[in-house]
Amino acid sequence: MNMRNSRAIAAAITFGTIAMVAAWTDINLAADKKSGGPRFGDILGGLGTIVGGLLPIGYEEEQSIGKAIALQVIARSGGTLEQPELVRYVNLVGQAVALTSDRPDIPYHFAVLKDDSINAFAAPAGYVFVTNGLLKQVRNEAELAGVLGHEIAHVSQKHILEVIQRSKQLAGVSQAGLAAAHQNPQAFKNVIDTAVKKLLDEGLDQEKEIEADKLGDAFAARVGYDPTAYPALLARLRTLKGDDAAFFKTHPNFSARIDAVQNTIQSQGLKANGVLLADRFARRS
Amino acid sequence: MNTRQPVRIVISVMMVLSVMAGTVWAETVFVQAKTAQLRAGKTSLDPVVANVKYGEALEVRKTEGKWMEVETGSGITGWIFSNKTTTVKPSGSEDELSKLGRSFRGKEASDATASAGARGLDKVSEEYAKRSGISKRDRDTVDRMTAYKITDQEVEEFLKKGELGEYAK
Repeated sequence: MNMRNSRAIAAAITFGTIAMVAAWTDINLAADKKSGGPRFGDILGGLGTIVGGLLPIGYEEEQSIGKAIALQVIARSGGTLEQPELVRYVNLVGQAVALTSDRPDIPYHFAVLKDDSINAFAAPAGYVFVTNGLLKQVRNEAELAGVLGHEIAHVSQKHILEVIQRSKQLAGVSQAGLAAAHQNPQAFKNVIDTAVKKLLDEGLDQEKEIEADKLGDAFAARVGYDPTAYPALLARLRTLKGDDAAFFKTHPNFSARIDAVQNTIQSQGLKANGVLLADRFARRS
Repeated sequence: MNTRQPVRIVISVMMVLSVMAGTVWAETVFVQAKTAQLRAGKTSLDPVVANVKYGEALEVRKTEGKWMEVETGSGITGWIFSNKTTTVKPSGSEDELSKLGRSFRGKEASDATASAGARGLDKVSEEYAKRSGISKRDRDTVDRMTAYKITDQEVEEFLKKGELGEYAK
């Protein structure tokens, strides 16, 4: 979003809110006259809170939200594998993809969950998880780069933060910011729990998953990995699991995902002359 | 009538057009990587002449294969691997609206998370962990994950060994 648009939207939100607060003040001033009425400073403070709640979540708040969601992911997966060489290898592949992603200017953190099911997750502020079950299905570094690229795309596109923006309304709080978290930790917990349920149980919107597939493969190709590796992994998982909608309730079916990625490879001119690095993946170093 | 007048006009028009052409035709790209190197030649073996940062604007002089000869704002010229550039200016991790939102939400939020990325759980996520009954073991795991560091130099070495990116053969 360019600066001019940002200012225009911010101005519209601000003036809209001022109008609402002004109307509210008119209505309530008469009623509050007996008790001295609301102070102007209180109104301004409230104005800042309302406007702040309507505007997007900033990076500092994203970090706290990301950590809270990461805590739930780890708790529900039985912890992470603590194998130093594996942790280092997955972080190196992940960093390589993240550094030339569409959001390279934040730190990313990668871990392998002990969970034997086939899945991967991302939390805001760059927390990325891949399950041990999925890792067992991966045959080369290019496939792993595609998986991590998919999760990095969720972070770069702020998909989970969009859920937070919506869930804070469901939770009945005016803002998901840290100021609110200090004043009302239970409201913050409600917002995070709603986002975790969406992320782990219900799944993000299908178009977000398809977007992450397409972008993630492009990120991996940008580093130099073979872009056909990721759809090859998806095809192998489809053979293994089928297009069972119940099993993949958190993601679109494999056929739709493979088609989307292959279309991206063609439309973006991603060349299949990248590397696979099967040996390095086998050594995990 | 002064016969030199038309000549002067033609020269002036040509000068204006040449300036406009320079403005219109010079392509600007932006660094699409956390860091990137400008090199003296168009291979990863050539010496580094400058380091450029994410979002930095570069004027393209020419393109050859996967490499671009560019000029920085400070006038340094060098070659950059084209996969580390984009024609769309990156918005950064926090766009203008997010910054505005943070300023409205106030100083309290900033103070609460100062250096939150550098250490483990901040007050807010620690409080969340307690309220959610998340074990000390799992809290320590997130702390370790947050603190785990891979340097840009280590990533470069990793890319080089794998013949990835600008190190591709």
